[in-house]
Amino acid sequence: MQSDVKKKILLVDDDLDLLEQNKILLESRGYQVITADNSKQGWELFISEKPDAAILDLIMEEHDSGFVLSYRIKKDNYGKNIPVIVLTSAAYFTGFKFSASTGEEKEWIRCDEVINKPVVADELVKKLESYFSLKDS
Amino acid sequence: MENGHCPKILIVDDEKGLRIGTKRLLEGEGYSVETAENGYDGIKLGTTTEFDLAIIDLKMPDIDGIQVMKEILKVYPDSVCLIATGYASYETAIEAIKFGAFSYIPKPFTPEELFQKLSQGYSRRELILEKKKWKQEREERLLEVAFEKSRLNTIINSITDGLLVVNKNGEAVLYNPSALKYLSFDQIKIEEYIIDKLHPQIAELINKFLSSQKCEQKSFSSEVELKPNREFYVEATSSPVANPDGTLAGVVVVMKDITELKKIEFLKSQFVSMVSHELKAPIAAVYGYLKLFSDTSIHLSEEQKLNYLNRSQIRLDGLLKMVNDLLDISRMELKTVNKEIKEIDLHVIIKAIIELFQIEIKKKNISVNVKSSEMLPCLHADQDEISRLFTNLISNAIKYNKTNGSIDIIISSSGNYIILEIKDTGIGLKPAEKTKLFQEFFRAKNEKTKDISGTGLGLSIVKRIVDSYSGKLEVESEFNIGTSFKIFLPLRNGINNKEQKAGN
Repeated sequence: MQSDVKKKILLVDDDLDLLEQNKILLESRGYQVITADNSKQGWELFISEKPDAAILDLIMEEHDSGFVLSYRIKKDNYGKNIPVIVLTSAAYFTGFKFSASTGEEKEWIRCDEVINKPVVADELVKKLESYFSLKDS
Repeated sequence: MENGHCPKILIVDDEKGLRIGTKRLLEGEGYSVETAENGYDGIKLGTTTEFDLAIIDLKMPDIDGIQVMKEILKVYPDSVCLIATGYASYETAIEAIKFGAFSYIPKPFTPEELFQKLSQGYSRRELILEKKKWKQEREERLLEVAFEKSRLNTIINSITDGLLVVNKNGEAVLYNPSALKYLSFDQIKIEEYIIDKLHPQIAELINKFLSSQKCEQKSFSSEVELKPNREFYVEATSSPVANPDGTLAGVVVVMKDITELKKIEFLKSQFVSMVSHELKAPIAAVYGYLKLFSDTSIHLSEEQKLNYLNRSQIRLDGLLKMVNDLLDISRMELKTVNKEIKEIDLHVIIKAIIELFQIEIKKKNISVNVKSSEMLPCLHADQDEISRLFTNLISNAIKYNKTNGSIDIIISSSGNYIILEIKDTGIGLKPAEKTKLFQEFFRAKNEKTKDISGTGLGLSIVKRIVDSYSGKLEVESEFNIGTSFKIFLPLRNGINNKEQKAGN
C-alpha cells in the first residue's frame, strides 16, 4: 500500500476461524479490516463504515448468502463503486465454476470477482490492488 | 389282411344272394363285413359306423347307390366307396367317381376282381388315413407354433422393460407396450423408419450397428434421461439380431427403468458432497492457521499463537467427532440387516451414559431425573444402537441446556410400544429449525448456539436408528423453554409379558 490512509476492507464469513485468518492476512498486507460473521451484520457494517472493498463468503447459513449481500451492496449508490469479491469453495464440491466476467452470470452475480477457497493471500491482495489502482488512476 | 388289421366292409345291395355270398367270401379273407339290403339301411349303417370300404349297388329300389354314397361321405369323407353296377358303362363310372367313389365294380364280378378292387381300395384308404394323420399332426404342430407365438407375444408384452426391434434399415419391427410408454409414443408404426423419432442417445445405440451393417456379437449400453430433472431414466442396451447366415438382420433395444437407482445415486452423491464440504471446513480452518504460522511477513503474538493452536485443536476435535459419527452411520446401514437383538435393560444403559457425561452435567449444574412406569415390558433391540440413541439425545440435552437446568428421562409403555422421552430445559427450537432437525449436518445456528460444537449428525443418527426399528419419533419444542424428544419403539412380537424391574 502506497497511500498513507489504509484502505478499509469489509470481510464477511460465518466461519470464525477463516474470518480471523483472512483478517490477519489482509492486515499484514497493510489493510484495515472490519469483520462480520453473518450477512446481516455485514450489511450494517457496510452502511456504517463505508469500506473501500468487500470480501464475502458465498455460503453462509444465517440470514443471506454472500450472493445476496453482494447484490445489495452492488445496488447501493455507494457500494456500486467499490470492488466486491466473493469467496467460494463451490467449485471444489460441485464442479461448478462461477465467473463474474461472463455474460449471463454477470447478470445475477453482482460482484466483481469470484475467488476459490482456500484463499491464497497474495492472489487476493493482487486482485484488490488492481481494483484500487484502476480506481485511483 | 397282412398287417393284422381287420378292414371293415359295408355291402349295400338289394340282391340277397350277392350280399350273403360276398359276405362269406370276404369274411373268409379276414374282412369284417356288414350288410344292408336297401339304400335306407345302407345310409343308416354307413353313417353310424365308419367303414373302411363300402361296396354299394348302384341301382336299388328305394335310394340309388350314388345318393347312399353321398350321404355316407358326408359323415365319413374318408370311407372308400366302390360302386357296383350291372349296367356298367363309361358314363356311370364317371358319374360315380365324380361324386366321390373310389372306383366301380361291374357286376357280375369274380372273386379275383373283387379282391383286386378291394385291395386297391384299401390301399387308398390307408393312404387317406395316413395323409389325414399327417395333416392332423401338422395342424397340431401349427397350432402349437401359433400358441408358441402368442405365448411369446404375451411374454414380450408383459415385460416391464421396454423392448424395440428395428430391421437393418432402421424400420420398427417389434415393440412392447412398455417401449411405447417409456418413449412417450402414442403408437409405433411397424415398418416405418423410427430412428429419427428416438432420443438421440438411443438412436446412436442403434446406429452403432446400422452404420457398419456388421453383426458383431456385442452390445452397447447407455443411461438415458428420457424426462428431465431425473424424473425418468432408462438404461438402454442395443444388441444385434443376426440372420441365419450371420449377417445383420436388425437391432434389438432393451430399456430398463433405472429412475429409482438414479435417485438413490443422486442422494448418495449429494450426501458425499455434503460430507466433503463439512469435512473440508475444519481442515481449511486448521490449514489456514498453519499458513499464518508459516507466513514470514506475518508477525503473531504469543497470545495469538496460543489462541490459534487452541482453535486448531477444537476444529480437529470436531472433525474427529464427525468422522466417528459418519462411521456410526455407515455401521448402522450395515446393521439394518445384521442387528444383534436381545433383551436389554434400559436403566443400565441410561445410567452408564449419564455417568459418561458427569463432567458436563456438573459443569452446568444440570439435574437429571430418570422415571419409569412400574410394569414395563421388556425391550428387545440391539444394545449398541439403543445406547447410541440415548448418547446422542442426552448429549444434546446437556449441550443445549441452560445452566441449572434439568433433564427428565421418562420410560413408559403403551400398547405395542415402549416410549422413551427425553425432556430438557434448553434453548429450544424455532419452528423453522424444527423441520430441518433431522437433516444431516443441520445445526440450529443463532447467537445461543454459537459456542456449542457439534457435527450435525447426532439426530440424523437417532432418526436412522428409530426408523430401523420401525419406530416413531416426536419432537416438541418451544424456543427458549426446552425441547422434548419422544421415541416409540415397537415391542417385538407384540407385548412381551416379562416385566422389567421399575427404576427410579
